[in-house]
Amino acid sequence: MTDHKPVTIVMIEDDEGHARLIERNIRRAGIFNEIKHFRDGSSGLEFLFKADAGPVLNGPALILLDLNLPDMSGTDILARIKGHEVLKRTPVVVLTTTDDKVEVQRCYDLGCNVYITKPVNYEAFAEAIRQLGLFLAVIQVPEAAP
Amino acid sequence: MEGVSPVATPRLRRLSETLFSRLIFGLPGAGFATMLLIVGTTLWLAGRSQQFSALVNHTYQVETQVADLRVLFERTEAGRRGYLISGESFYRDVFDQTWRQIPPAIDELARLTLDNAAQRDRITSLRPQMQILMQQMSLSVERARTGDLEGGRKLFLEEANGPQITGIRQLLSEMQNEENRLLALRNERQVSNARLLMGVVTGAGALLAVLALSSLLIMRRYARDLQRSQAELQVLNRGLEEAVRERTADLTRANEEIQRFAYIVSHDLRSPLVNVMGFTTELELASQPLKALVARAETVAPEIVTKEARAAVDVDLPEAVGFIRASTQKMDRLINAILQLSRQGRRTLRPERLSVRRVVETAATSMRHQLDEKGAVIEVEGDPPELVSDRLAIEQVFSNLIENAVKYLKPGRPGVVTVRGRVQAGRAIYEVQDNGRGIDPKDHERIFELFRRSGAQDQPGEGIGLANVRALVYRLGGTITCESELDRGATFRLSLPLSMAPEQGIAA
Repeated sequence: MTDHKPVTIVMIEDDEGHARLIERNIRRAGIFNEIKHFRDGSSGLEFLFKADAGPVLNGPALILLDLNLPDMSGTDILARIKGHEVLKRTPVVVLTTTDDKVEVQRCYDLGCNVYITKPVNYEAFAEAIRQLGLFLAVIQVPEAAP
Repeated sequence: MEGVSPVATPRLRRLSETLFSRLIFGLPGAGFATMLLIVGTTLWLAGRSQQFSALVNHTYQVETQVADLRVLFERTEAGRRGYLISGESFYRDVFDQTWRQIPPAIDELARLTLDNAAQRDRITSLRPQMQILMQQMSLSVERARTGDLEGGRKLFLEEANGPQITGIRQLLSEMQNEENRLLALRNERQVSNARLLMGVVTGAGALLAVLALSSLLIMRRYARDLQRSQAELQVLNRGLEEAVRERTADLTRANEEIQRFAYIVSHDLRSPLVNVMGFTTELELASQPLKALVARAETVAPEIVTKEARAAVDVDLPEAVGFIRASTQKMDRLINAILQLSRQGRRTLRPERLSVRRVVETAATSMRHQLDEKGAVIEVEGDPPELVSDRLAIEQVFSNLIENAVKYLKPGRPGVVTVRGRVQAGRAIYEVQDNGRGIDPKDHERIFELFRRSGAQDQPGEGIGLANVRALVYRLGGTITCESELDRGATFRLSLPLSMAPEQGIAA
């Protein structure tokens, strides 16, 4: 990643287990960036838009987004992110159980950068996350502060 | 009628169907019978009338004959008198002329009155009297003719007021009276006959009029009933259409809800499953170091390794993990099946013209490997009808049925799968027949249910294929049935509309 500021990984995921598994596998892939985990949409948005350490005010970030959240739909969050002048450049990886074609299309239309379906088969899941980790290790993330 | 709900119209108001049909056939029947009666009676009466007028005519004839005889007689007498008084030959000529005509006139009268005994008797008594008189008359005239006018007159005066003339006159007027009486009687009969005829015709006419009128009234009433029934029917029909529309909307809504429900459930079930699978693997990973530890302890300090610890690491943990994993994988497959079915229901169908032969051949090509392995063949018999339907759905139905047929062939028997089709009553009927292991008749319905399978469970599968096939066939507006016996192969029969109705609802 960039040398200047470490990229924060913002994970919005309501399922504790999924979050834990994702984190473990990212670490196994050798990615040790800070992972900020939010269990619902509101707190995730709060951090993204308003927190001092959040990407709007400070530092580059990468967002891992689940679509099935208790308080709001993940696509709404995606729309908010991609509608924001600064935040729209932040890469968003949608990581969810839904593999519905229409939903996938909609996310890409809204500006999602990568869409990954969580495989139930754990080996495949772990593999997908590890590859995501490798991917994270090479991609360039824009500096957040203008 | 007002205020009465049309549906609840009492039946009493209407002519009952049986009464109506009785009347509608009875009235014209009665009319026809009346007509026949009138014709018969009229014919009979006319016959009688003819008979009566013949009799009357006859009477007139007799009467005329009597009158003629009388005139002849009187003229003869007058001629004789004239001659005897005046001696003029003119009177004698009259006498000569008329005198000769009297006997034939009497004969004619006798012939005419043969039917009347009383008149016959009178003629019988007339004849001798007339003969005597005529002899006397001729005698007196002959005497005068020979010049003895006086002698003739004397003879005349002798018999002029004799019994014969009065007797003859008496008889003739009696005969005339008798005929007059008969005439009056016969006239009377004819008049009453005519009156009877008129009475019959009038009565029958009145009866016909009554029949016609009541027929008309009944028809009118029936027509009114019919009209009312039609109006009611229309109202009911409209209600029915409305009800059907509502019910269809309800069903569509319910169906959509089920689809959505299935979709949501399967997604939400998947999420915890990811955890179960994930952490099972984590558990396995975590048990590795423990296993190593136990192994090391065995060598370093065997006394601290209990039997339970070794069993836990070597047997219990791997076994538990194995079961959890197998069950989770199965659950994943089941959820995927539900998801697939739910997706199938949400997909919009697009009807297009399809060659079933080509669909089957494509399926056979994609299964070449399996077919070669099992030594089975797929045959298309005859020329199955083409149809307009959704390509994807039809392909899926046929490939599923053929795959099943190939999958459950009888080991040791060369497999033959036959596909044939025909058009029957406006629908396309297709059969997929195999010579495989067959299906127990008690399972013929069960095999179409989700997650249900039949027979020996020696083939992989979740019991999804046929459930999916049936759901698809239903959606295409068709039906599917199974015909099979154990060990005798199976035939799956599809009945599909030749042209699928375009879909109205349930778009994803």
